[in-house]
Amino acid sequence: MENKSPLSPHIQIYRWHISSLVSISHRITGIINIIAITLICLWASLLLLGESNYEIINLFLSSLVGKFIILGLTWSFSFQILSEIRHLIMDLGYGFELKTTKISGLIVIFGSIILTVISYLIGKNFF
Amino acid sequence: MINATKKWIFLKISGAILVPLKLWFILNLITIYDQDYVNVVSFFNNLSSRFLFSIFIINAYFFSALSISEVFEDYIKNNKIKNVANRFLYTSAVVIPLITIILISNL
Repeated sequence: MENKSPLSPHIQIYRWHISSLVSISHRITGIINIIAITLICLWASLLLLGESNYEIINLFLSSLVGKFIILGLTWSFSFQILSEIRHLIMDLGYGFELKTTKISGLIVIFGSIILTVISYLIGKNFF
Repeated sequence: MINATKKWIFLKISGAILVPLKLWFILNLITIYDQDYVNVVSFFNNLSSRFLFSIFIINAYFFSALSISEVFEDYIKNNKIKNVANRFLYTSAVVIPLITIILISNL
């Protein structure tokens, strides 16, 4: 049965803004993150198979590609954290002015890169 | 209170809880991803790490299931396909974290 309720218009109809970029990125990173969490659950579960099987995963994660994936995931989670905070602030009724939405959107984009670098440095005990 | 309002409130509460948990998760992921077997197992054997990881995955799947069902609502026109997709989504959101928690408890 076809649903008669209107669907969201296709994204290409509108001109791109910072807010639309943050909004679509929020959805994309959300999907990336849940796929990543599923793989991490699988990784944690595979620990039960013992040390020899873990070596294969460890080799991959320690490689340049593995490090790039972890860095990418760190950015994806960082983006979600800041974007979620932006959403929560907007839910409280703040930050709807056009200028404010642009500024908060830019904070999410550039802040996620800064948070990624800081998290990586803290995680690797550089501080 | 209508269902859509309840769903929105659950989405917001789980989203707010996820903010500090995600930060904890990425910091620990960076620390352990290239560690050897013994260190990774001891991370999951640590009671507080295991507890926080369990809470994190339960909350993350709950939040994602609610969010992705919104995406289905926005972009899937056929009700039959939407219902199947939602059922698959909600079942996965319960089964995957549950199995993971049981398995890491036996490490």
